[in-house]
Amino acid sequence: MIESFKQLEEIARDRDLADVFLESDEQEHAVPAEDILEALRKRRAVMRDCVERGKSGGDSMGKLVGNEARLLHQAFQEGRTFLDPLTVKAELYALSVMGENARMGVIVAAPTAGAGGVVPGMLLALEEERNVDPEKTVRALVVAGGIGSIIALSANISGAAGGCQNEVGVASSMGAAGVAYMMGGTTRNCIHAAAIALKNTLGLVCDPVGGLVEVPCVKRNALFAVHGLTAAQLALAGVESVIPMDEIVEAMVRIGRSLPRGLRETAEGGLATTDTGRAIAQRLKDEANRRRAEKAAERERAAQERKTHVTS
Amino acid sequence: MAVRHDRKVSILDVMGPVMVGPSSSHTAGTARLGRVAREILDEDPLHVRFSLHPPLAATYRGHGSDFALVGGAIGLNVDDPRIPEAIRIAEQMGVTIEFGEEDLGDVHPNTVHIEIKGPTREVEIVGSSIGGGVIEVFKINGFQTRFKGDSPTLLLFYRDRPGMISEVTKIIAEEGINIASLYCSRKQRGKDAFMQIDVDSPLSEEALRRICSALDVVDARYLDRIP
Repeated sequence: MIESFKQLEEIARDRDLADVFLESDEQEHAVPAEDILEALRKRRAVMRDCVERGKSGGDSMGKLVGNEARLLHQAFQEGRTFLDPLTVKAELYALSVMGENARMGVIVAAPTAGAGGVVPGMLLALEEERNVDPEKTVRALVVAGGIGSIIALSANISGAAGGCQNEVGVASSMGAAGVAYMMGGTTRNCIHAAAIALKNTLGLVCDPVGGLVEVPCVKRNALFAVHGLTAAQLALAGVESVIPMDEIVEAMVRIGRSLPRGLRETAEGGLATTDTGRAIAQRLKDEANRRRAEKAAERERAAQERKTHVTS
Repeated sequence: MAVRHDRKVSILDVMGPVMVGPSSSHTAGTARLGRVAREILDEDPLHVRFSLHPPLAATYRGHGSDFALVGGAIGLNVDDPRIPEAIRIAEQMGVTIEFGEEDLGDVHPNTVHIEIKGPTREVEIVGSSIGGGVIEVFKINGFQTRFKGDSPTLLLFYRDRPGMISEVTKIIAEEGINIASLYCSRKQRGKDAFMQIDVDSPLSEEALRRICSALDVVDARYLDRIP
């Protein structure tokens, strides 16, 4: 079992990183490499679908978000964007996935649903813009998943456990390694890409308005997809993280533990308790209560009707 | 270091699951917990009660955890687009549903106690959704265990006596099947006991029949990997 990034670097120094992860997973979970690849081909297709569906936008469950992808898509098509196409697409695809997610659409948790836009944003944008073979993207998903599985040995991957660093931070780190791999980076480049990305998300809190995966989650996914791309860029140029990846993960766990409960997905701090955040939460609560009351009244009416029916 | 998992999470667990949004811990994980209860019950439920640990009780509604828990409890998969309709579907099936709050102690924030009743049986589990759709059920019908639903698993309820574990594991060994993990607990010496055996590959009907007909087995449940 690969227990640390240090060990990974030794094992995979002169080898294809995806092959190393596939082998290790096969040994550990008795799932043949081809089955993992096949499952990930399907997941890449779900990500693609999501990106297509999501571009047109639409209201989310809490109605706080929904049009981000549509607006950016429009701007891009009309030539009104100023960033390079790779960056714009990474943002757009991340927004699309997160819009679908907030509508209770079918998505791929990568590694979580709340951070599910980052990896497809980075990898699918790169695939398109640099004409990468989709099979290489699938192998980059292996690399990203493998990186995440080592992080998960010491950290719970959830905002409730350690804040958003544990979700979007980890996604950005996984995606950065995937991008470095797709661009032909070495194992060392990939690990440093992951390290640079993760290190610079430490301390990121989880403070969703009204407890929904909407604000700030949707836009944050877009921004951290770009963050991951820039981390991969540095690593591919040979820039390395001074703090080794294993120690960064340890720091993340420690920081997560010291975060107050209010900043760990409980919606009891940060953005959630700003004036606007509170007002939105109150509105959501009122709406939910109204719906419940309506439903109860409806049930009551139905029961009355049944009674009248029986007596007549 | 934080919690070290007993087994490494697989690539497909990290880069997945494919699921209905919006939250892997609040939607996918909770749907899987509901599904575990349903699979152990092994019949259509009539009544389900979900007692949520306070942090989950505070956040579940906005994430659709109520739809997800109920969806799982009526047998829907985490990627089933009907999950947003699960409560209505359950009502149509005649299942009564209750939600409550319960302090479950020093556990993961997203922990739930599920009591599910069918025409002939009832089952009770306590489990956590620890992120990314990954779950850990640590109590089944009052017995301590560690169930993750990531491999085929045999649950045995039996009367505690010497030699029971070796009899059962011998049958599995004769099948040429590797045991990934084994958890045992009991309520009292010589009384109700429980064994959970996670296997690397599926058990044959014949092996299950032999195990179930062993003396002192009160009840047995064989579960596939929980999707």
